[in-house]
Amino acid sequence: MTYLLTRDHDELRALVRELAEEKIAPRAAQIDQSAEFPWDLKELLAQQDLLGTCFPEQHGGTALDTISQSILVEELARADATTSLIPIVQKLGALPILIAGTDEQKARYSPRLASGEWLVAFALTEAAAGSDVASNRMSAVRDGDDYVLNGSKRFITHGSVANLLTVFALTDPAAGGRKGMSAFVVETDTPGFAAPRVEHKMGIRGSPTAELTFDDVRVPAANRLGDEGEGFKIAMATLDRSRLSIAAQAVGIAQGATDAALAYTAERRQFGERVVDFQGVQWMLADMASQTEAARHLTYAAAARVDAGASDMPYWTSSAKLVAGDIAMRVTTDAVQLLGGYGYISEYPVERMMRDAKITQLYEGTQQIQRMIIARQLLERAGVQKRPPHAGSTNARQ
Amino acid sequence: MKIVVCIKQVPVTGAEKRYTDDLRLDRAGVEAIINPLDEYAIEQALRLVDSGAADSVTYLSMGPEQAAEALRRALAMGGDDAVLVTDPALAGADEWATALVLAAALDKLAPDVALMGMASDDARGSLVPGAVAAKRGLPLLSYGAELTLVEGAARIRRLSATGFDWIEAPLPVVATVTDQVGEPRYASLKGIMGAKRKTLESWSLADLGIDPASLRGAALTRVTDSRPPEQKPPTERIENMAAAEAATRIADWLAARKLI
Amino acid sequence: MANDVLFLAEFAGGRAARSALELATGSAELAAAAGGQAVGLAYGAGAAAGAAALGAQGAARVIVLGGDDRPAITYAAALAAAVREADALALLAPATPNGRDLAAALVGLLDLPAFGPVRAARVADGTVETEQATLQGSVITTARPAEGADTPSIILVLPNTFTPTEGAAGSAEVIQAADAGDSPFGHAKVVESHQADARVANLDEATVIVAGGRGVGSEAGFGILRELAGVLGGAVGASRAAADAGWIAYQLQIGQTGKVVKPQLYLGAGISGAIQHRVGMQTAEHVVAINRDPDAPIGEFADLFVVGDLFQIVPALTEEIRRRKA
Repeated sequence: MTYLLTRDHDELRALVRELAEEKIAPRAAQIDQSAEFPWDLKELLAQQDLLGTCFPEQHGGTALDTISQSILVEELARADATTSLIPIVQKLGALPILIAGTDEQKARYSPRLASGEWLVAFALTEAAAGSDVASNRMSAVRDGDDYVLNGSKRFITHGSVANLLTVFALTDPAAGGRKGMSAFVVETDTPGFAAPRVEHKMGIRGSPTAELTFDDVRVPAANRLGDEGEGFKIAMATLDRSRLSIAAQAVGIAQGATDAALAYTAERRQFGERVVDFQGVQWMLADMASQTEAARHLTYAAAARVDAGASDMPYWTSSAKLVAGDIAMRVTTDAVQLLGGYGYISEYPVERMMRDAKITQLYEGTQQIQRMIIARQLLERAGVQKRPPHAGSTNARQ
Repeated sequence: MKIVVCIKQVPVTGAEKRYTDDLRLDRAGVEAIINPLDEYAIEQALRLVDSGAADSVTYLSMGPEQAAEALRRALAMGGDDAVLVTDPALAGADEWATALVLAAALDKLAPDVALMGMASDDARGSLVPGAVAAKRGLPLLSYGAELTLVEGAARIRRLSATGFDWIEAPLPVVATVTDQVGEPRYASLKGIMGAKRKTLESWSLADLGIDPASLRGAALTRVTDSRPPEQKPPTERIENMAAAEAATRIADWLAARKLI
Repeated sequence: MANDVLFLAEFAGGRAARSALELATGSAELAAAAGGQAVGLAYGAGAAAGAAALGAQGAARVIVLGGDDRPAITYAAALAAAVREADALALLAPATPNGRDLAAALVGLLDLPAFGPVRAARVADGTVETEQATLQGSVITTARPAEGADTPSIILVLPNTFTPTEGAAGSAEVIQAADAGDSPFGHAKVVESHQADARVANLDEATVIVAGGRGVGSEAGFGILRELAGVLGGAVGASRAAADAGWIAYQLQIGQTGKVVKPQLYLGAGISGAIQHRVGMQTAEHVVAINRDPDAPIGEFADLFVVGDLFQIVPALTEEIRRRKA
């Protein structure tokens, strides 16, 4: 399976880069320092039709291929990781609807999401259920034509600014997380919903990471996505695709750091020479650039497989996210190193990029979860028998 | 109310540029963009459509075939369709020849307003709009900070030494606007995708009924030599000095050149 | 006749624009080399009364196209008629908006070759030869009219290319041009006129310009520059950043989208020297720049680059110059 980078891809990259360099990069430091959600940049992205790339044209989207969507995220992340999260989360939150929604549900929600009028967030994680998704506790009890949701979610990106949430809750607690979870669309102006707290974080500080509470939140049954009990499957199918956005984000962060380090070392003089003329420095830059390139193309290869509907798609998207996240951390750390003392202070962007890069190794499935996914596929392909589950654990991820 | 915006594709500002051996501008291999000053004309035209004062915007450009790129970029910002006048006989065309050809194309398109930017970034022109107006026998409203349409006429706001004037002429007109129109919009993604579906026609000199011979070699002027500018003596620098001492040194420098 | 050199002489508010004097001087030089006369084409308020005085700068004759305070372009038809009759070698026009518009009209009405803005013009082999800096100053081209091109050649001239002689005397013959009748160019009229509180200096006329950029920081900051301009006998200009910030009038903006100036001395304070500004002033005779940033691009092409705080250095310089003049 091959992929082609076309002129359309180049034009998209040029469009987003221009926007990012002129309007977004100048705001990045201030967004990080104030930790405020950049509503103005969200408006800008919406106006430029950049929040609708995963929605069909009939609903006001632009239905771009997955490589194009990756390029969009890459170029935004190169300027500012926080801003790149806006289209990333718009897609993440919408995917359950796009994957499991009925035509009526898609028509009900997609237009306002594609236009960026509404923001949507993905509410799966709970305080005691991070990597261990199946340990979710939030409940959804059927009552007439409604479900009543009770519980709380933690670490929900954009949870406090979204108009819509795709929420995962147990409709059948006895069946456990894998078989008893269902997915719902919840409008955040529904009574009983609150976003009481936002986390204070290491990086992506302008992106609000919220705790959400549901106190007898009534949701019409028409808002349930798929059948009862399909929630876990929908969540996994969502993450199989959405984690590719994180790979693209990591590539963008790495590229931004590489570019910043190159520009700085080309100007900085020590010992009577430009720092960039020292071979050791050139070698570091070469490693940073080539690794970023490798991560980029693994991401595109995975994107091609998503679009082709390949059955081993999760293997690819996990690989891309694993590799890109680790490379982003390495490259940004090296970028700080190359700037020396100046790399450590907030006057230069690389320390922020390093703090931002860390999250790509954590969210949408930690690197450890990615390794589990990849290993599982490897063993399956090689015909290695599955190990029987541990006795007594219904929720073991295997 | 129809507007035609004339645009030019030019090398990006600051790109390395040179003349070819036959002393023409070497446009190959250099990143090309819409002449930045034309973007203000595009923005002004699109604003008039947004406000309902105008109904349609057509882009017109004269250049080699790759100038179609600039027209596509313009269409991505907005507007309805575009025309590229391209012909081998137009290689190396000067401002006079450009005006002659654009005038013929504009007569064919017959807009109410033919709108252009102030000058061309690469050749520092600025004579094309006035020459086009002359050829077409139309009034010229130039250097407008803003253009508005009133019943049967167009008006521009032009800065004067002491403030500004509104100057009016009956339609149809040729007009130019400056950067004071305001920031040109970015092309949106839908704009870029939609641009591919908009009509872009290509016209040759024959389509305009112009006999290449009448263009007299497409230029009334001839470059006879091109050379790099004289090497200026290296910049003298004054740094790490207290203000008073720096001031004395600057004053000495000025005095030595009889500037004070 | 075919060795005469014409020039545009703009009048406003009863006086000749500085460009009229400069071009009179330039035309006289070229005409002398060509063996002909310098002939002015005057228009604007005060043209009739002031035309004869152009003789002091070397004009032999001046044709008065009209003395109204109307947009300059409305004189295009009368200008073309006069040019057609005159049968000259060249016509010098100022590289100002009005000059360019009239030059453009002539190119279109009479199919004439056009050059410029030029930094030098001379007569060679019986024809005009010009030098211009093109491609943002990176290339100097020499050009001539093509074989068989009509005359006169239209030449756009930057301010301060020619220097009028101070205190010269002489009187030109003044001729009233025939009425050119109605023309499309004549249909432009001023329908509203708004005066600002203070008269803004015309940068084209300044031999010294003190320009401020983003580094000046505020409208008040420009006060320091005004004082320096005052002791240097010059005008204040600005980069686009300063004009956009509202610290100074747009008429004083120098650059790609503002004025192109060619003063004897350009002193830029707090201006980085990005290409968009540079193209507006790079042909200045002497360029001095003051900037806090040792790597500012203006340091590459200034003649004298002072790294320091303009808020300290500019007032100190003003003081020093005042002291020396006393």
